[in-house]
Amino acid sequence: MAGVGFRRWAQALSKGRGSGISALLSGCRAASGVSNDSLPGPYPKTPEEKAAAAKKYNMRVEDYEPYADNGEGFGDYPKLPDRSQHERDPWYQWDHPDLRRNWGEPMHWNFDMYIRNRVDTSPSPVSWSTMCKQLFGFIGFMLLMFYLGEKFPSYQPVAAKQYPYNDLYLERGGDPEKEAEEVKHYEI
Amino acid sequence: MGAHLVRRYVTETDTEPDPLKKSPFDPQLGFAERKEREMVATQEQMNLAQLPLEQRDYCAHYLIKLMKCKRDNWPNFLACKHERHDWDYCEHQDYVMRMKEYERERRLQMRKKRIEANAQAA
Repeated sequence: MAGVGFRRWAQALSKGRGSGISALLSGCRAASGVSNDSLPGPYPKTPEEKAAAAKKYNMRVEDYEPYADNGEGFGDYPKLPDRSQHERDPWYQWDHPDLRRNWGEPMHWNFDMYIRNRVDTSPSPVSWSTMCKQLFGFIGFMLLMFYLGEKFPSYQPVAAKQYPYNDLYLERGGDPEKEAEEVKHYEI
Repeated sequence: MGAHLVRRYVTETDTEPDPLKKSPFDPQLGFAERKEREMVATQEQMNLAQLPLEQRDYCAHYLIKLMKCKRDNWPNFLACKHERHDWDYCEHQDYVMRMKEYERERRLQMRKKRIEANAQAA
């Protein structure tokens, strides 16, 4: 008897809409639950739809720009500039300082890529062309110098070192049966 | 320091000798008679001392004496000054001979060039 009553009570509780513990306990939803009108929707075609989408994403209508409607599935999600969080002001008091983002701000589609531990789009100290010129210039110069060093080797002004026993014929692995070529060295 | 390199690559490219090439001149040219270099250590002695190839030159007997002195006097590493000096002096004389050979080769090349120039002019 008590078991049946308990079952009915549990069913009544879980019938309530909503997420998490709040659904089981009281049947009402928490404010952190996502409602359908705050989820992304289909591509906005009319200016009214565009205005509604901009308001939904907490953006100005002038700033709001959706992705192109070419079947990729972006819907009305805004196209934000591809700038990483490294480029945001480090001294401003953000709501989330490590993410450099305020509450309610529209998130870039690739936000998780643009966090400060990952891809950095901040400008380099010198331009790309300068960097390329410096790197390949240096490498090219080193290759040229090594090539010249092979072509024109540096050496001391001395003749080759003289070794005894026909230039160490046997020691260098010469055949003991064959006659070695006679090599004589003289004093000077 | 480096004058020979300037001569070889810039000013006198045809007469400056290349130390890697064998000399085209007769070793007796310019000498009444030349004494042969004397090798003191035998091949067997060098083998027993296990000398590396580069050290089996005309000063090997001094090196073998030095090695024996060091082995006998270990751990006194300051003991073999005399033997070390003997070996060093022999190597130094060998190096000076190499310098002289280079210079001889160079002078013979210049003489050859002069002779050819005279023959052409005549």
